[in-house]
Amino acid sequence: MSGLLELRDLSVHYRSARGEVTAVRSVSLGLESGQTLGLAGESGCGKSTVAMSVLRLLPRTARVEGQVLLDGEDVQGMTWGRLRAVRWAAASVVFQGAMHALNPVHRVGEQIAEPMRLHGVSGSVSALLDQVELPARAARAYPHELSGGQKQRVMIAMALACEPRLVIADEPTTALDVVVQAQVLAVLKRLVTERGIGLVMISHDLSVLASTCDRLAVMRHGQVVEEGPARQVIASPTHPHTQALAAAFPTVGDPASRHVTPSEVAPDGPVLLRAEGVRVDFGATRAVAGVDLEVRQGEIVALVGQSGSGKTTLARTLLGLQKPTAGRVLFEGRELPRSASGLRAYRRQVQLVLQDPTSALNPRHSVYEAVAEGLRIHRVQGDEAARVAEALSQAELRPPELFFPSLPHELSGGQRQRVVIAGALALGPRLLVADEPVASLDASVRGEILALLLRLRRELDLAALVITHDLGLAWTIADRVAVMYRGELVEQGTVEQVLLSPRHDYTRTLLAAVPHDQRSTRPNWTSSP
Amino acid sequence: MIRHLAGKVGGALVSLLFVVALGFLLFRVIPGDPVVAMTRGRPVTGDQLAELRARLGVDKPLTEQFVDYLAAAVRGDFGTSYVYSRPVLELIGERLWPTVLLTGTSTVLAVVIGLWLGIRGAWRRGSRSDRISTGLALAQWAMPTFWLGMLLSLATGDLFPSGGMRYPDTPPDFLSQSLDVAHHMVLPCLTMIAVVYAQYLLVMRSSLLEEMHADYLTTARAKGLRDDLVRRRHAVPNALLPTVTLVFLHLGLVVSGAITVETVFSWPGLGLLTYEALTGPDLPLLQGTFVVLAGAVITMNVFADLLYRVLDPRVRAS
Repeated sequence: MSGLLELRDLSVHYRSARGEVTAVRSVSLGLESGQTLGLAGESGCGKSTVAMSVLRLLPRTARVEGQVLLDGEDVQGMTWGRLRAVRWAAASVVFQGAMHALNPVHRVGEQIAEPMRLHGVSGSVSALLDQVELPARAARAYPHELSGGQKQRVMIAMALACEPRLVIADEPTTALDVVVQAQVLAVLKRLVTERGIGLVMISHDLSVLASTCDRLAVMRHGQVVEEGPARQVIASPTHPHTQALAAAFPTVGDPASRHVTPSEVAPDGPVLLRAEGVRVDFGATRAVAGVDLEVRQGEIVALVGQSGSGKTTLARTLLGLQKPTAGRVLFEGRELPRSASGLRAYRRQVQLVLQDPTSALNPRHSVYEAVAEGLRIHRVQGDEAARVAEALSQAELRPPELFFPSLPHELSGGQRQRVVIAGALALGPRLLVADEPVASLDASVRGEILALLLRLRRELDLAALVITHDLGLAWTIADRVAVMYRGELVEQGTVEQVLLSPRHDYTRTLLAAVPHDQRSTRPNWTSSP
Repeated sequence: MIRHLAGKVGGALVSLLFVVALGFLLFRVIPGDPVVAMTRGRPVTGDQLAELRARLGVDKPLTEQFVDYLAAAVRGDFGTSYVYSRPVLELIGERLWPTVLLTGTSTVLAVVIGLWLGIRGAWRRGSRSDRISTGLALAQWAMPTFWLGMLLSLATGDLFPSGGMRYPDTPPDFLSQSLDVAHHMVLPCLTMIAVVYAQYLLVMRSSLLEEMHADYLTTARAKGLRDDLVRRRHAVPNALLPTVTLVFLHLGLVVSGAITVETVFSWPGLGLLTYEALTGPDLPLLQGTFVVLAGAVITMNVFADLLYRVLDPRVRAS
């Protein structure tokens, strides 16, 4: 009667210095063999805690109530010996962040073989690697020698080593770009159908879950707020939180998720930044191979491409952090200065916003110091406190004085990113270069930060170059898109042109790799225009 | 790899040259005239003093002395000791072995004890045994070496000899000689271990504590590994990496760290030689021991660097 995995009224509490914190509240879910269950939610909603409780991997401070039934057997009641026997042999985990979940100093082959030896299962590492479409020689590599997608596949191969009936995949594709993500998801889907295993997929990205799962549960504050067939949950979400999550991952081509109205587009403003035939070589490798790009005043340009396509190197060159091997970069018609002082003056005009606000902010500097630092470096005259306050309120941290003494760890992820943006705004720049500005943020915060960027453009006539691998983001806020592939801009044009009727094959590949769901009808990108 | 090796060795040679120069200048600055010290208590005329100065070469200008010294040092000649009237290199060669024996034995034991206690402490962090062993190690580390040495020899009474390296009347066969040296070594060894093992304990403990939150340990647990296997196979080897560097760096330092212990227990090693040379000041001897002690640190540094590359595949790649 019971399925492969059944959670009955599961609650998890963590003991901490401030008393008990409840991470998971009365969650009941079930999964049959050959099915995929999606668990969606933002960071801190308790979805990983649920995953960890299945194999009793929670830290000692956790107190678990309710039942976790694995093939009808209660995990909570198992002896240590029985639990060790069940771990990996009956259920295995593809952990979040393969980068850290693999032992950095063991060869990956050894790590895949380890559970096989432990549980006395016969099998071959190369056959497992073959299943995840990796060559057999990958077994001899150390984790740092593999790319993110390859490491994730190694994790999947490892999870399959003892032929478990249940696999739990915790954010299996989060750190990967779209093309690799599509490949990894395809591998997982194939394994579910071929082997009849049960898969629990955990993600904050509804579009990923929509494309892989049969059933979907949305969690918030430790509770399941909505559960049902994936198609239904995505197509007609009833809970407002589900709606917010769905809106945060826009569908390219869906007019409802495009926040830029054509009237806002100012295609004939003066050109602010222009790259002419920029080429950057690192030794024998060509990172950027002859790029022409323009950013006009008040315009938002999205530079999209996979990791390794050279987009970050191009951005560094535009900021004057990297000297181009050939070609030139012009700001307001003048070539970038080469002297240190000239570059410093230039960087007041062009500010950088980094991907991860947590690592971009010094953990021991208060918000005030973080924002004022740029002013001090550039020796800006005038009332420092007033400028900092103005920048913070422009970044919608109000009232600004309240945030002055705060340290980064006291702020939420979205607030931290606002501090980073305020730090850039304090200098009164004309152009922001934003490298994946929302990639590390939660779904509900993404929208706010994007709205902020749009408002800044409207009110301050600020231009922005947004570097991203996320086509949905480009669709949401950009006026124009430039697609970068192997160091070259293969396609450039307005968002509607490039994303709705792409001309280059690579753009089509990128668009096809975006996880599909059934929310809206999409143009058929694979056919030639 | 070879380029890396050449770079490291080249860098080490530059440091060594710097040490030679520094050693020369440093000991000219300290107060005390060697000629006066050598002739103390004897009636000497001004002419005799001048002649002695000329013989020792200390009458020439400082730059000329330095050039002479450097030229000789490159040929492997570190001059002649004022006090012993024997080549410095020969004296150092004689005293090197006792020091290596003493510091080598105590370092190996201190490393083993320190790492073991560090691993135990980190794995049972905050337990009573962790708190006691960490506290005890810190207390011993804080103790002055000479004081602890004297205390130990007082406390053990006649159980162990409290000075020298061997009795003069020991039979000359190898076994009796070795046992005699081991017997003499107990107290100085204990003193050194007691003081230094705390460092290894603390480094190992904190490095393992850092590793213990690593995600790959959760992976290992999820695979069904027993707790002690998780520790032995995954956590400890990785936590050992930074410790290896420290141990090697410290191996070089330990030689000079033996100065107090050797002086307290009159152990005829380099430390005692340095101490004796300081009272002169016996300038050539001081310079010689200084170069050897500093050279040991530099050499071990290079070793630590190379060993780390062998042990950690991540460093190898970059």
